[in-house]
Amino acid sequence: MKKLTYFPGCSAHGTSEEFEKTVRMVMQRLGVQLEDIPDWNCCGATSAHTMSESLAYALPLRNLVLAEKLDNTTMAIPCASCYQRMKVTKIHMDENPELAKEINSTIIEEGTYQGKVAIKSMLQYCYEDVGLEAIKAQVTKSLAGMKLACYYGCLLTRPKAVTQFDSPEYPMSMDHIVEALGAKATDFDYKTECCGASFSISNSEVVLTLTSKILEMAKESGAHAIVVACPLCQSNLDMRQPGAEKHSGKKFDLPIFYFTQLMALAFGMPEKDLMFNKNIIPVEKALANIGKIEPEPEKSKKTKKAVEAESEVA
Amino acid sequence: MITLGLQEKNTLLAEVNKRSGANVLECYQCGKCVSTCPVSQYMDFPPREIMQLIKLGQKETVYMANSTWFCLTCSACSGRCPRQIEIPAVMEAIRHIAIEENYVNNTKKVKSIRKFHNIFLDMIKLYGRSYELRLMAEHNIRTRDLFKDMNLAPVALLKGKIPLLVKPVKSIKAIRRMFKLADKLEKKHQ
Repeated sequence: MKKLTYFPGCSAHGTSEEFEKTVRMVMQRLGVQLEDIPDWNCCGATSAHTMSESLAYALPLRNLVLAEKLDNTTMAIPCASCYQRMKVTKIHMDENPELAKEINSTIIEEGTYQGKVAIKSMLQYCYEDVGLEAIKAQVTKSLAGMKLACYYGCLLTRPKAVTQFDSPEYPMSMDHIVEALGAKATDFDYKTECCGASFSISNSEVVLTLTSKILEMAKESGAHAIVVACPLCQSNLDMRQPGAEKHSGKKFDLPIFYFTQLMALAFGMPEKDLMFNKNIIPVEKALANIGKIEPEPEKSKKTKKAVEAESEVA
Repeated sequence: MITLGLQEKNTLLAEVNKRSGANVLECYQCGKCVSTCPVSQYMDFPPREIMQLIKLGQKETVYMANSTWFCLTCSACSGRCPRQIEIPAVMEAIRHIAIEENYVNNTKKVKSIRKFHNIFLDMIKLYGRSYELRLMAEHNIRTRDLFKDMNLAPVALLKGKIPLLVKPVKSIKAIRRMFKLADKLEKKHQ
């Protein structure tokens, strides 16, 4: 079994428990053994880098140092925000040894940072390291009939210099994964628009405005549901969807799945383990489309943008 | 040359460039950042105007603007900037200087955002991890908006979306020491 260092992040114990659980289930099925960073701490999320530069580096650096105690070359992170903070810290520490030394002095009892572990988002790991063929090979219950809008949000693919993954404008990695599961990915223009992230609590009006647009465009793309790879995107689109409907005066009725929930479903894992009961917007209607296959239109109509983005990824 | 004269005296420009690693002078005011930014409509000055105000050395206006507090660091602007200016880094630099030099924007929205971040950091100092329930409750108390999101509470709690308890980091002492030392580093750089 392949080993992989794993940083669950705070939301794994809270709002994104279903992401956490299905990540573990799916990884085990794919032959990847997750090793948690011992006694990991919060990455500081938006708040640390908003208020203090030193803290914004120190919090992730402790995790990076602890991660080096495990004997793996790569770590994967399910949360897009944790992923971004950890990767930004790694890049700055690697580029600037003096800064690294200074920040390291705040956590010196944990060890000295060496910079030997590569950081990937869980989506990136699934796409690049596991690969579409290995995912396809595990599918026992195709999701054919389902149309899905894949939503990446901002931090998984931007800034390009940090993430070095997929297209910042029109990414396709998640689209390819859900298609490997048998579903159809819709042409969704708002896939990298920001959901309002941490304003969920402090400025929810902004979140309602932004998510309304995202939900509207997903609905327009013909999707039965939205697929995400970030806990904050999920809770803003799902928990705040009734609010967004009220705000915009439109009905969306779009359940929000984590891509790993759908992987586990397509791998034939028992539905009761996938925690669909945690979804605020009920999932049943969307899942009922599985198996209902429409006749293919004569020619697949992909927009110029999608074709361009695909060739860029390739 | 006038611009050179301006640059020599423009300590704002120098400080922002130094901290952000960006070169604000590169900005040619095309406005692509504004049309891309998901929150520019909430800002006193959208990113393009902030760039120009920095070039003009308008310290007070720049530091007091709500713009940097509204920036979500989504990096949509910098991805499309034809001059490849790291605008979110510029916004962050402004915010950090404003905090250090006590420029306080006390409008309701900015206060709410600032309080959220302060409570979040207090949580991490206490537990080493975020504690969503307490974060939401405390934000409501500190912004004196007790019933905000109360409609979400029953469904979130019933569905177990928001757990009642937090699992703290074991070596919480290390975390508190980190906070103390990071604070010292921050002061050293000012």
